[in-house]
Amino acid sequence: MSVTRRSVLSLLALGPVLAACGVGGSSSRSSSGSERVVRVAYQNFADSTLLVKDQGTLEKALPDHRITWTAFDSGASINTAFLGGAIDLAVIGSSPAAAALCPPLNIPYKVIELLNVIGDSEALVAREASGVTKIADLVGRKVAAPFSSTAHYSLLAALRQAGVDPAAVTLVDLEPQNIQAAWQRGDIDAAYVWTPVLSGLQQDGVTLTDSAKLATAGRPTLTFTVARTEFIDGNAEVIAKWLEATDHAIGLIKTDPGVVADAVARQIGSSKEDAAAQLRQNIYLTHAEQRGPDYFGTKDAPGQLANRLRDAAEFLHDQKKIDAVPDLETFRAALLGPGAVDGE
Amino acid sequence: MSQALADPPADTRAAPRARRPAPGGRTLLVRSGAVLVLIAVWELLALAEIWPPVVLPGPGQVWHQLLATSDTANGQGGYAGSTLLERLGVSLRRVGYGSAYGVLLGVGLGLVMGLVPLVRAVTEPAVTFLRALPPLAYLSLLVIWFGIDEEPKVYLLMIAAFPPVAVATATAVTGVNRQDVEAVQALDAGRGHVIASVVLPASAPEIITGVRLAVGIAYSSVVAAETVNGADGIGGMVLNAQRYNQTSVVVLGLFVIGITGLLIDSAIVVVQRVLSPWRGLV
Repeated sequence: MSVTRRSVLSLLALGPVLAACGVGGSSSRSSSGSERVVRVAYQNFADSTLLVKDQGTLEKALPDHRITWTAFDSGASINTAFLGGAIDLAVIGSSPAAAALCPPLNIPYKVIELLNVIGDSEALVAREASGVTKIADLVGRKVAAPFSSTAHYSLLAALRQAGVDPAAVTLVDLEPQNIQAAWQRGDIDAAYVWTPVLSGLQQDGVTLTDSAKLATAGRPTLTFTVARTEFIDGNAEVIAKWLEATDHAIGLIKTDPGVVADAVARQIGSSKEDAAAQLRQNIYLTHAEQRGPDYFGTKDAPGQLANRLRDAAEFLHDQKKIDAVPDLETFRAALLGPGAVDGE
Repeated sequence: MSQALADPPADTRAAPRARRPAPGGRTLLVRSGAVLVLIAVWELLALAEIWPPVVLPGPGQVWHQLLATSDTANGQGGYAGSTLLERLGVSLRRVGYGSAYGVLLGVGLGLVMGLVPLVRAVTEPAVTFLRALPPLAYLSLLVIWFGIDEEPKVYLLMIAAFPPVAVATATAVTGVNRQDVEAVQALDAGRGHVIASVVLPASAPEIITGVRLAVGIAYSSVVAAETVNGADGIGGMVLNAQRYNQTSVVVLGLFVIGITGLLIDSAIVVVQRVLSPWRGLV
């Protein structure tokens, strides 16, 4: 066959058709076949889950399962992934988790574990040059925070606590790296953000409050593990192995933090000292502690965690981000807690 | 010169008219019909609830959001502090400034590129390089250099808008018929007069096509420009709603962006027909 313009054009037309045939084979959602897939969504901050990922604990405990780890930048995008049915297990903050449990999202997942209570790894810092020394001074100033995050919720909680109407402050929605740029140019007066950007800001800023203080004042922000309800029903073994691995990692943070810091440093690409410092900034609870009355509680005596989630949902409702705040029972039903699945 | 082209003889007018598409009225009817059918199919899909409403909102929900975001008394002043129209105004103003600066810069540079081959040789790779860059990539750089207010957004839109205009102008200017230029030069016209009365009018159709492309590109980049502190524009509304998975607001925003983009494009086409009525006839 001679090479004519027509033959070249028809060959080019085959290209997209052939490419389309390759799509779809590797992205099937079902766990059919001999290998069962567990799709985990994680975030790149210092936490026990990074040790589990680094050491391959889950892969060793579940040899006939295929575990995929996908990094996400925010809880909001994790919620979107759940909506698309692409994730089974995720590490997510309390604000996006509360949003997910309310209408209109109503994402069918349950909180199976408390990974940490956010301490001073998230804080409200004001630029020294702005002259702001307390939260009440923020009236009429520009304060930045990444919207829909735990930092955003903490900022609003801090303003309310200090008696400042959030509408009297100019709130700016910026991602952490843009907060850093705006801070250096002097475009913003204060920001509520997390490490590592926070550490940079604190070098020429005044820390007005942090999430540890807000937690003791009854407005905690927390990091959870959530799992799809359907997935929990069909994969009790996977959940049990996950809880075992993370409980062990949480224990290690208290007894041998160097090992965890090493793993975190490898995963997020920071130095071991930075990783160790970031780990120290949050509060970790063993599973036994999590089953106490302040957190999950038991079936007969539900703990306060449901109330805290409901508070977070009310904040979101105030900002018109959710349609309605469901009653306390809905939140209690969504909190499975470690041990509830094991059947202990 | 324009005199001869503005009044073509009657017999040459009859032939092009026969080649024109169906009368405007029928086209409009067919287009409206197609849109209505699409909306009906969409409503049926939403009613069938193959996907939950948060994944595929129905037309009713999007309409409800249109009313809610235009209502100033709904407790949040529209959507997060601004109504839909205010947001549209803010974004259009940004696109307007960015496109205007980009078009001025593009026409100026394109003219010089077309008339001075040395300039073209030096600047053409740079212009093509800029055209290949995705706006989201250089937005962070602009934010670091210019801050978080209006400047980085307008500059981003300007950088996005100027390459198509520059390339179109340069191509048009180099493609101007040499005989037309020589004819005017034979009448002892200076350089400026040649440019004003021959080069620019002859290049006008292509330049305006470049402007049309540029405004389209700038408008589709307004969402990228508003990812950093763009909370008061329509792109900001889409991004904010997407964070909270408010899909119906996202769909509303996309429709508003698409429809206004279509209207702006049609307006530019009308301007093109007015400024260069001979196009398509010669």
